Amino acid sequence: MDVVYYLIQNMLPVGVPLLLVALGGMFSERSGVINIALEGIMLFGAFFGALFVLNVQGTSMGPQTILLIGMVVAGVSGLIYSLLLSFASINMKANQVIVGTALNMLIPAIILLFSKMFFNSDGITTNMRFYIREIPVLSRIPVIGQMFFQRTYLTVIIGFIILAIAVVLLYKTRFGLRLRACGEHPHAADSVGINVYKMRYAGVSLSGILAGIGGFFYAVGVTDGNVSGHTGVAGFGFLALAVMIFGQWKPIRIMFAAMFFAFLRTLAYSVSLIPFLFDLGINQTYYRILPYLATMVVLALTSKNSRAPKAEGIPYDKSQR
Amino acid sequence: MENYIVEMLNITKEFPGIIANDNITLKLKKGEIHALLGENGAGKSTLMSVLFGLYQAEKGEIRKNGKKVTINNPNDANALGIGMVHQHFKLVEVFTVLENIILGVEPVKNGFLEMEQSKDKIMELSEQYGLKISPDSLIEDISVGMQQRVEILKMLYRDNEILIFDEPTAVLTPQEIKELLQIMKDLAAEGKSILFITHKLNEIMEVADRCTVLRKGKYIGTVDVEKTTKEELSRMMVGRDVSFSVEKEENKPGDVILSIKNMTVASKTHKNNAVKDVSFDVRAGEIVCLAGIDGNGQSEFVYGLTGLEKLVSGEITLRGKDISKASIRERSASGMSHIPEDRHKHGLVLDYKLEENLILQRYWQPKFQKNQFIKFDEMRNYAEELIERFDIRSSQGPTTMTRSMSGGNQQKAIIAREIDKEHELLVAVQPTRGLDVGAIEYIHSQLIASRDAGKAVLLVSLELDEVMNVSDRILVIYEGEIVGELDPKETTTQELGLYMAGAKRNTEKETGHAGE
Amino acid sequence: MQGNNNNDKPKYNFKRITSHPGFKSLGAAFMAVFLGLVVGFIIMLIASPGNAVAGFRFVLLGGMRRLGDVLYFATPILMTGLAVGFAFKMGLFNIGASGQYTMGMFFALYVAFMWDLPGSTHWIVAILAGFLGGMIWGFIPGIFKALLNVNEVITSIMFNYIGMYLVDMWIQNNGVMYNSSMTRTRYIDSGVQIPALGIAGSNVNFGIVFGILIAIILYIVLEKTTFGYELKATGHNKHAAEYAGMQGKRNIILTMVIAGGMAGLGGAFAILAPSAIAGSSMTYEPINIIATNGFTGIAVALLGSAHPIGTILSATFISYIQRGGTLTSLVGFKPEIIDIVVAVIIYFSAFAMIMNTAIARFIKARLGKDENEPLLELGEEPVEEVESQMEQDTEKEAE
Repeated sequence: MDVVYYLIQNMLPVGVPLLLVALGGMFSERSGVINIALEGIMLFGAFFGALFVLNVQGTSMGPQTILLIGMVVAGVSGLIYSLLLSFASINMKANQVIVGTALNMLIPAIILLFSKMFFNSDGITTNMRFYIREIPVLSRIPVIGQMFFQRTYLTVIIGFIILAIAVVLLYKTRFGLRLRACGEHPHAADSVGINVYKMRYAGVSLSGILAGIGGFFYAVGVTDGNVSGHTGVAGFGFLALAVMIFGQWKPIRIMFAAMFFAFLRTLAYSVSLIPFLFDLGINQTYYRILPYLATMVVLALTSKNSRAPKAEGIPYDKSQR
Repeated sequence: MENYIVEMLNITKEFPGIIANDNITLKLKKGEIHALLGENGAGKSTLMSVLFGLYQAEKGEIRKNGKKVTINNPNDANALGIGMVHQHFKLVEVFTVLENIILGVEPVKNGFLEMEQSKDKIMELSEQYGLKISPDSLIEDISVGMQQRVEILKMLYRDNEILIFDEPTAVLTPQEIKELLQIMKDLAAEGKSILFITHKLNEIMEVADRCTVLRKGKYIGTVDVEKTTKEELSRMMVGRDVSFSVEKEENKPGDVILSIKNMTVASKTHKNNAVKDVSFDVRAGEIVCLAGIDGNGQSEFVYGLTGLEKLVSGEITLRGKDISKASIRERSASGMSHIPEDRHKHGLVLDYKLEENLILQRYWQPKFQKNQFIKFDEMRNYAEELIERFDIRSSQGPTTMTRSMSGGNQQKAIIAREIDKEHELLVAVQPTRGLDVGAIEYIHSQLIASRDAGKAVLLVSLELDEVMNVSDRILVIYEGEIVGELDPKETTTQELGLYMAGAKRNTEKETGHAGE
Repeated sequence: MQGNNNNDKPKYNFKRITSHPGFKSLGAAFMAVFLGLVVGFIIMLIASPGNAVAGFRFVLLGGMRRLGDVLYFATPILMTGLAVGFAFKMGLFNIGASGQYTMGMFFALYVAFMWDLPGSTHWIVAILAGFLGGMIWGFIPGIFKALLNVNEVITSIMFNYIGMYLVDMWIQNNGVMYNSSMTRTRYIDSGVQIPALGIAGSNVNFGIVFGILIAIILYIVLEKTTFGYELKATGHNKHAAEYAGMQGKRNIILTMVIAGGMAGLGGAFAILAPSAIAGSSMTYEPINIIATNGFTGIAVALLGSAHPIGTILSATFISYIQRGGTLTSLVGFKPEIIDIVVAVIIYFSAFAMIMNTAIARFIKARLGKDENEPLLELGEEPVEEVESQMEQDTEKEAE
């Protein structure tokens, strides 16, 4: 049972970044723009968030406060970076996959350049400890308390709050309805007076914010507050796209998909703690590959019947009827 | 002095390379049904799009109730009480009827959707005007007729007073057309003013009060429908006297070329099959027309016949050879030519040169390649020959980018290619869609020439005139089944319409195999 | 009806030149490069204002002193550029060039270390092994796409990671190949290295010659053969290709296999290349980093408009500024500055469409309208813009 607790405790901080970034991708694609640049935006958000932490880590601010402010910094950074994608795809009607790839390549190069020149290293290392041993009161609840409220990070709780907000936003608000219309049938939306360009900017900007926060949460929960220009976010931005597809662009399903992948990854790194797996003596590399392979299996099984937002990836042009 | 509720004065609208509306004036009276008539491409839809705010005119002025107004987007139009039902519905398929109607004017409380009130208002409107809908159904699940009613309710919900209908009857059965025309009369009686774009003269004669005619972007005139005739309207529309019939000789059908037995094709959107157990033959020297309203399985039938889709069951025999499971290329090589429904999607590679498109079905033959290397001279010569014979016009001849050619010439290129290649069976699907009268006449003559040369021609069409005038034998398809076989010389348009609407059908024994 | 068949327009009138697709691509390429360099310069200014000008001069001119090296380092990215570009012609995004490159490199190394062959043939076999490795790694996204309809972008990316992890593991577990104290692969024998061309001052070798030959072969395949005809047709409009009886699935797989093979060759050429110091060779560090040459290949392909010959030029150009980039460290910068420039170039290449029309319109406005401009025939509907293959794909398929 301890193993189960351990796995869940470790899985959540990994799953939450995936979840948030996948939700970001969802908002973007639901509005009609494919966001391949999630990987780059994550890293951008992580970098600035970590930079902030680095600058305040000596002060008297508590770790959780720093985390919250850092989250805002990361979100704003992600938003700014995503504007490059918005501008290119929406105003210039450029090819969204190419632009996204360019943005992904740009960030590690910038981080490495600045880190090498100013910090003499490949990235940022902080010595902030965000780890929470126990949340008072809640951790006493039998079973659930141990699973969710012990040995965790604030990121997990924030992540689920954001999920709830996302669900409400997408399905219960006027904004959500209009956003979805733009991704399915932009001409229909236009004909009832909705500004498709503005909606798409909103969708991409949301993805920027969420990916930025997701990146920062990745740095906090997975790489211990550090950001490396070389390893970046280890493909999480792309895994998030797979999570989004697996979740069929629906928030709750995306959450399950994200947790599934996080579980696999956690399993991969916890082999030594699980006797029966350890005894199998399989090289760790195979476990590392597992999430990527699992992604392929999932996609193979679901792609035939997948139902993406109908108008995604097509630049919106008013003059075509 | 007349009281006009809307006036469009001296409107000029240009697109790159074309003046779609050239100094057009249109005046709409309150409570009237005003038809806007013209051929495809005359500029009717463009003019209405200007009124609705989808486009902005370069020159001209719009007035409502005598006062000048600017309409920069559909919101402005809406605020002035102008609404539009588009030819291609602007409905979000995965949303419900209710969501589609309120989209853009959603009732909210603090940003959250509050749908109940709207639902009541919509059901009231639905009752009042006899527009039956089910508010919680998804658009992708409802019939085309109901989808159109949703579009109409969109306008009524917004209290629009001026209603624009863009080619509304193109997708309806004759029965649904009758209902729609009645709805329009009721709306006008309630004081709504209606603009009605069409190229169908019958409908104009039946419901319109006045009619404005456009031709090639220019304003031709406005007439009182009571005082005019179909002939006069069509003369204004086309610019000359149009014969409504096609010149052709009696045909003498020969051997059976194509034999379809129990063909069944699945549907991509519904659980039921799109084509259900269809059987019929086509002989050499005859034009058989598969007639039906769009969406009754014709497209799927053609896909199954040509190989673009697999059959669920059934047999296709071409000149005695079973091609039910053959690849597309095998079918083509066995003597099947296909003029596809969608010339841009299937018929041509628009980014290829004209000559490259003309060998699209034959580039692999020894005539055009050796050891997999293309024989460019042969390709060039062949293209020049076809251009000459079929009078295909283009800016640079064989090296023209196909994308830059006009629709009529693109279609001619496809026809040239498909007719010139060796074939026994010619499958022509909506070959005259979107083309002007001259091109239509030309294409019909080519189909007849093919038939006279002893080929079997299968024509799929939904234009009643074309069906009646061009074919030797009509097979009506309704909901995936052949429901009737008609002789165009004996039947009437009304009867054909009834069959197409599923209101009448022959029994099994009578269909398909006449002449055996 | 308007429009006419005419073959009597002067062949070289300015209008025809400016609307020729080649010109448009060149114009777009120049714009992208120009903007990339500008952004690079700005970043250099921000990072170290005092040295920015000196650094930028290195970027622009540094390569001049090292033309041999320019070609030496151009070879791998020429191959990955061909890998991306060839697939692009068919409407496929081969973002997996890195994984194919790495796999090719591994296969080549394996043959280099583990097989014993006479010197004259050893390097040839190693190269072929690299080709095979790349082909296998290209086959995978091809088959996922053709048979299971999984978008090749995600498959390629996943297999970049899988390939990287696998190769790193295989190398680390192989004592013959791996020098654990240096965390690098060992040196290969000179017998396995690609023979140098003997140009003084650099190790430019036959790799570049092969690369150029292969580019020419690809050009011939694309422009002169039925396979090329089918490939381009499918890239433009896969529906029409299907209608014409072309075997879509087979072509997708074949294209990805060839593209993968190109990248694999790139990896082989890189690792088997001779090195400056006698007795040494190029080495690989298995530290779980995705091969950057794979991504640089994307820039090369885009700049070269996916045209094999254009790719040769763009690979040379990018290698040129990369050489300049390494020299910037002399004034305190890092070679990553060029990665930034490359990324920005890719970013602006994506705007190619818009820039094409903007430049063309600008020129048209200056010179006045040409009456032979193809017009719509009045009486017909305006030609609908059919989406490019890319957009169709991303629209219709799951990623």
